[in-house]
Amino acid sequence: MTGRRWGVAIVAITLLTALMASSGSAASLSLTSQTLTPYRTCTISATPATTTSVIDATVRQASPTSNFGSLTSLTVASASAANQRSYLKFGLEACSPAIPSTATVRLATLRLYMTAIPAACRTIDLFRVGSSWSESGITWNSQPFGTAINNPASGSRTGTFNVGTPSGCQNQAAGYVVGGTVTSDVAAFVAGTSTNFGWMARDDVEGSSTVRTTTLSSEELASVGQVPQLVVTYVTVP
Amino acid sequence: MSLRLAGLVLLALSTPVVGWAASGTLNADTLGGARLNVPRCTSAGLTVIQNLTAGTISSITVGGIPSACGSATLQATVNNGTTTGSGTAAVPAGGGAVTVSLGLAPAVTTGELTDIVFVGP
Repeated sequence: MTGRRWGVAIVAITLLTALMASSGSAASLSLTSQTLTPYRTCTISATPATTTSVIDATVRQASPTSNFGSLTSLTVASASAANQRSYLKFGLEACSPAIPSTATVRLATLRLYMTAIPAACRTIDLFRVGSSWSESGITWNSQPFGTAINNPASGSRTGTFNVGTPSGCQNQAAGYVVGGTVTSDVAAFVAGTSTNFGWMARDDVEGSSTVRTTTLSSEELASVGQVPQLVVTYVTVP
Repeated sequence: MSLRLAGLVLLALSTPVVGWAASGTLNADTLGGARLNVPRCTSAGLTVIQNLTAGTISSITVGGIPSACGSATLQATVNNGTTTGSGTAAVPAGGGAVTVSLGLAPAVTTGELTDIVFVGP
C-alpha cells in the first residue's frame, strides 16, 4: 500500500470513529419525565410498652426526689409549688433502614394523646433536652433543665401547642393533639449536629395560682391507639 | 509521507473519544454525563397519620398537600419490617388531605416506614 493510500485509509477511519462517537452523544438524546414526588415517613410509636426505643416520664415539683417513669400517663401542670413536666425521647434507630444523615427532614411532629384537658386554654412548650436522662431515674431534682420554674425561657422552645376546653383553643377534646412540630431538632439529630436526648414539655407559664393540668397517655399505657409518636417525613433527594 | 503523518495524528486524537464513550454509566437518574431533574409537585412538609383498626394500620391520611399536587395519584406503601401494605388514591384537585386504604394492614410496631409518591399531575 502506498503512502497516499495509507493516509486515505487513516482519514477514513478517523471520520468513522468521530461519526460513531457523535451518534452516541447525549446531545442527540431527548428525555422527558412525568412529575414524581417521593417522600418517606418514619413513624416511631411508643409500643410495645417494653420498648427501649421510646422512653417517657413525668417529674413533679411536689415530689422532687420521686421517679414517675412507670406511670401510664404523662402530666404537664402549672401550679404553685406543684408544677409537673414530662420528658420524652424517641430513638431514631427505630427507623429501619435508618434515615440517611444527608436526608432533608421536611416535617417532624410529636404526637401526644390527650386524655384530660384543662378548663383554661394553656400553652405547652417543647424544649430540646441537652443531656441524658433515664426513664427509671429522672426526678424533679435531677432533671436536665434544673428545678427553677419557667426555665428554660419560653423563647428557646422548639415547638408549642395549646390545650383547653375554651372555644378558640387549638386542642379542645381528647385525642392526639395538633401541633408539636419539632422539625429543626430532628433535622439536627439526623445530620449528627445535635445529640438526641428528646424533649421536655412544660406549661408556658408555670406557677399558676389555680392548678392547670393536662394529662397525656404514656408508653406504659400499652394502648397502640394512644401511644406517643414521633412522625418524621423526609426526602433523600431534595 | 506528510499525509500519513497527519492521518496518524488524527487517529491518535480520536482514540480518547472512543474510550470515553466506553466508560459511560447508566444509573437511575443519570445517563452518561447528563442528569435529568425529575419535576416535583411540592417540597412541603406533609403530615402522615396512621389510621388504626384493631392495632393494625388499615389506612394512612396524608395532609398538607398543596394544590400543585392536585389531581395527582398518590401511591403509598407502609412497611413494618414483616408486612407491607400498599394502596393508591386520587388527590383532590385543590390538594388538602387524602386517605389511602392499604391492601394489607401492617401491625403497629415501634417503627414503620411509609413511602408515598405523587404521580403527576
